[in-house]
Amino acid sequence: MLTLCVHRQLAEFSLEIDVTCAYPVTAIFGPSGCGKTTLLNLISGLMRPDSGQISIDDTILFHAEKGIDLPPEKRRIGHVFQDDLLFPHLPVRQNLLYGYQFLASSERKFHPDTIIDLLELNTLLDRLPNLLSGGERQRVALGRAILTSPRLLIMDEPLTALDQELKDRIMPYLRHIRTDLGIPMLYVSHAIGEILQLTGQVIVLNRGQVLAHGDFFSIAHQPKILPLLETHGFENVLPVEVIASNRVQYNNQILHIPPCDRRSGTHIFIGIRANDIILSRQRPAGLSIRNALSGRILDIVETHGRRLVYIDVGKRLAAEVTPEAIEELALKIGDSVICLIKTHAIRIGPDVS
Amino acid sequence: MIFPTPEEYTVLFLSLKVGLLCVAISLPFAVLLGWVLARKNFRGKLILDGLCHLPLVLPPVVVGYLLLLLLGRRGFLGQILSDWFGMQIAFTWRGAVLAAAVVGFPLMLRSVRLAIESVDPRLERVARTLGANPLRAFFSITLRLATPGVLVGSLLAFARSLGEFGATITFVSNIAGETRTLPLAIFTYINQPDGEAAAARLVLLSIILSLGALIASEAIARKMKN
Repeated sequence: MLTLCVHRQLAEFSLEIDVTCAYPVTAIFGPSGCGKTTLLNLISGLMRPDSGQISIDDTILFHAEKGIDLPPEKRRIGHVFQDDLLFPHLPVRQNLLYGYQFLASSERKFHPDTIIDLLELNTLLDRLPNLLSGGERQRVALGRAILTSPRLLIMDEPLTALDQELKDRIMPYLRHIRTDLGIPMLYVSHAIGEILQLTGQVIVLNRGQVLAHGDFFSIAHQPKILPLLETHGFENVLPVEVIASNRVQYNNQILHIPPCDRRSGTHIFIGIRANDIILSRQRPAGLSIRNALSGRILDIVETHGRRLVYIDVGKRLAAEVTPEAIEELALKIGDSVICLIKTHAIRIGPDVS
Repeated sequence: MIFPTPEEYTVLFLSLKVGLLCVAISLPFAVLLGWVLARKNFRGKLILDGLCHLPLVLPPVVVGYLLLLLLGRRGFLGQILSDWFGMQIAFTWRGAVLAAAVVGFPLMLRSVRLAIESVDPRLERVARTLGANPLRAFFSITLRLATPGVLVGSLLAFARSLGEFGATITFVSNIAGETRTLPLAIFTYINQPDGEAAAARLVLLSIILSLGALIASEAIARKMKN
């Protein structure tokens, strides 16, 4: 259990955090410049809080009043940065073992071969980092942090520098780490879709303050959270039941999803961006789109220059529509509409727990 | 005729000894100061920087004279060293090493500092989070990545020490077998009747040594770029 109660003055605002993170995976969500990176640096000891305390389970990492301030090398926090920051003069193998070599054998929880297999790094071991692709480099950085047998793995937007295809390829590795290795994680991102593939436990941060903390699906609709999510690509979230590797069921309606590895019968969340939903008056013919959910318009609002139409399809869905389209379709509160969603616009989220 | 005499070999070995020792004693200071100047911000940084580079622009004779004032028999430090440790710096080969080190130091420092500045400081922080203490992180990451620059700086300082004349002759004089390095020996032979042949041989040796050091430094600098 990570307990944070810290204060730190930054250039434009002050960071005031007082939260307790329940394991195994907590995500920190917030716009750029909200203090996420600073918070991680405070946890790993690269920066000092002005006051407060930080502890993991029974170990106090920082305590201003007691004068405790463990240096980074004593904290055992695996810190994965946005840039992989591999050591350029060391081949992959030595990069992986850099932290491992400092551990006494009793402290080593993972064998290097296990991690090398898990992250599929076997063929890269003798290469220098400059000969690796972006995705390979980030996998090595992950492996390097895991091999220090950390008490906590903190990840600072580890996928941001990668393109979508690579993100999709790394995500399964992150889920392996979460599920198979049992290392608690604090995952920072400004992409809610990414977060939901790992966890539903979210801390929402804005200008150094915790706006909300808890299950994403229960906080997402809070009035102070919603605008933040909407300006950063709101993800609609639906609880669904898997019925085949590429189909799920929602309120007796079948949705086609990208192939996933969940077993039939599991209940999972899926995410859909507001601007990936097309509204139609009738069920269309002659379209390649597989998914059509019918519902009733609850509300039409404008935030930050964007028009959002909220539709009740059993749960509230937000669809982003242009003002012209609203006018042309003459959309009004109470109207029935069909929500069209492309299969590949659907993100697979975590299990419903 | 073309081969050096034993006396000239003594000169050559003295020059090599002075050059190598000068690099050896400058190196730790250059790494420490190079790191401070590259990574730290503090009041008086410009003044420290200026002081470190002063020997580069001062006439070497002035450097030698200041060393003599400080470390000569009547000098403040010279008296302490001679009274407490019985150690003589001025007019000995140790003084020649010191004079060469002071004059060559700015060249070494500059190269080391640039090399450290070119290493991403975040790499050292990653090393810390991976469990390396500050010294270990510095040596295994930053200094290791700066090594080509450190080598280039050492070679430059070595080459500069081979050519050191003004500070040396002012501070430790021109004593055969003790402080008579290559340039001093050449100067002496030129001023002697029949000295031209010996001077020519030493000139040739100087050219070979200096050129070798410069080529080696250039080769390392090129390798560093790739």
